[in-house]
Amino acid sequence: MAQRMAQAAKLLIGVWIAGVAVAMFLVVPQYEGLGNAGRIIMMHVPTAWVSVLAFSISALFSGLYLWRGQPKHDDYALASAESGFLFTVLATVTGAIFSQVVWGVYWNWDPRQTSIFILLLIYAAMFALRSSIEDVARRRQLSAVYSLFAFVTMPFLIFVAPRISDSTLHPNCAFLQGSKCEGVELGVGRLGLLGDRKVELVGLDRVGDVVTAKVEVTEPGMSSVTALSPTYDTANHKILERPNFPGLRFRLVVEDVNLATNSVRLNIEAPGTGLIDNGRTLFTFLASIVGFTALFFWMLNVRATLLNVEWALARREGSRV
Amino acid sequence: MQEPYKIEHRLAAIRPVGLRDLLAAAWAIFIKDLRSELRTRYALNALVLFAASAAVAVSLGVGFIGLRRSEEYLLIQSALLWIALLFAALNGLSRGFVYEEETRTMAALRLAAPPIAVYLGKLLFNLALLVLLGTVTSLLFIVLVRIEVGSPLAFTLVLSAGGFCLATATTILAAIIARASFKSALFAVLAFPLLVPPLIVAIQATALTLDTAGMALALPAIRTLMAYAVAMFVASLMLFRFVWEA
Repeated sequence: MAQRMAQAAKLLIGVWIAGVAVAMFLVVPQYEGLGNAGRIIMMHVPTAWVSVLAFSISALFSGLYLWRGQPKHDDYALASAESGFLFTVLATVTGAIFSQVVWGVYWNWDPRQTSIFILLLIYAAMFALRSSIEDVARRRQLSAVYSLFAFVTMPFLIFVAPRISDSTLHPNCAFLQGSKCEGVELGVGRLGLLGDRKVELVGLDRVGDVVTAKVEVTEPGMSSVTALSPTYDTANHKILERPNFPGLRFRLVVEDVNLATNSVRLNIEAPGTGLIDNGRTLFTFLASIVGFTALFFWMLNVRATLLNVEWALARREGSRV
Repeated sequence: MQEPYKIEHRLAAIRPVGLRDLLAAAWAIFIKDLRSELRTRYALNALVLFAASAAVAVSLGVGFIGLRRSEEYLLIQSALLWIALLFAALNGLSRGFVYEEETRTMAALRLAAPPIAVYLGKLLFNLALLVLLGTVTSLLFIVLVRIEVGSPLAFTLVLSAGGFCLATATTILAAIIARASFKSALFAVLAFPLLVPPLIVAIQATALTLDTAGMALALPAIRTLMAYAVAMFVASLMLFRFVWEA
């Protein structure tokens, strides 16, 4: 019975992921300005989510192992780390491809890239530690400790690092509906940072209800300065013109105008912001997350069972010898 | 004639140890480590010589007088300072536990003191090493690389907070790798991912303190570093028992 259910689950996950892959190309509309490259988000975000989930589950089972001392829990911790490593590599590669298309570089030490890089290093360190301890019980105990110890740094990676760094062009804050980049509030003559671009509000022009912000954008490394003029309709509270950052597909917008203090709120908009309103995109996205999570749990179960069998075989052969 | 082994003695061994006894035991382990270190001066030599050669090497490249003190240059200087500190620390800080394993005194230590006291003693020893290392390295950098510290108080605080992160993150790892093969390589591999987040913060904050308007700007970074160190410290206190038993 259990075997038949596992068989059915395997088939279901296979069909589900295949459906997501088809929907990614046929059902989801193109992101405006990104062409077909935007579709990789459907793979990138779920794999990134699973890589963090796997790390947490590995830490959970490591804690259980230290508490109860059952080898079964350590099998699950190791299986979770192994499949998590695979998903982390996938998330990094898909992210780098997307980054090349949108930013023109594969890697630029964006805070999220930094944190996934550290996650990769932690996984690698766990495997290195496991391979360098001969005694089985000691190997299990020490790698469980390392896994939990590394897990303590997670909140710092996820929440603190992106906040301390003032440079993120990571599209996570612009693609999901409801989530937003922070933006900067600038008075006339003030400087601020948007992503890794320095922006200076040179002046505000007002014609009727339409406010034009004159913004000077400086490239990283002060190599060149470009003048952009996004506009905003104060009567209807609508963004009118969204000029592109020079050489990028990201756009500069005025989100709000405060005429009393002569200041505006400037922000980055990724191409395709708002398009996730589109139900087809949203449902494919959710289906992809569900599919990848199920795939991970299936892999976790299979690998842990295999490890258990391997361990039992080794013990039986050991007892014969 | 010897006293017969009484049941009370055994109970005394099981009974939870008071805080005062714990700290006394930790202090005793610290003093013991200090003494045996002064006998061989292995870690001292490794740390100080590494710091000196790093400072000289850096000075050969970027120490000449013509360089402009721009924002980028301050960042480069502080990154170089932290690279020197990090690599010296990765060379020397595993010594505390590896030494016990090499001289086969681990079992004696296990009998002599509760695990937490061992951890605290070794942490104190590593902190002492890092105080020395930080002082020597920053003095060498001030002299040879001509770092000009804008606000010395903030500079010292950032360095201490960063050093506290280094010590709390690496002490328990040293205990882990003492039981494994390929000790020194494994120590760097295990420690580096956990040290990247505080390093990013510390490098940026140190660059700020080299400028004149240091303290107000560096304070959030100092707080983050301290939070990180405290998190590592508490996690170590909870997990060290399992390393010690393994």
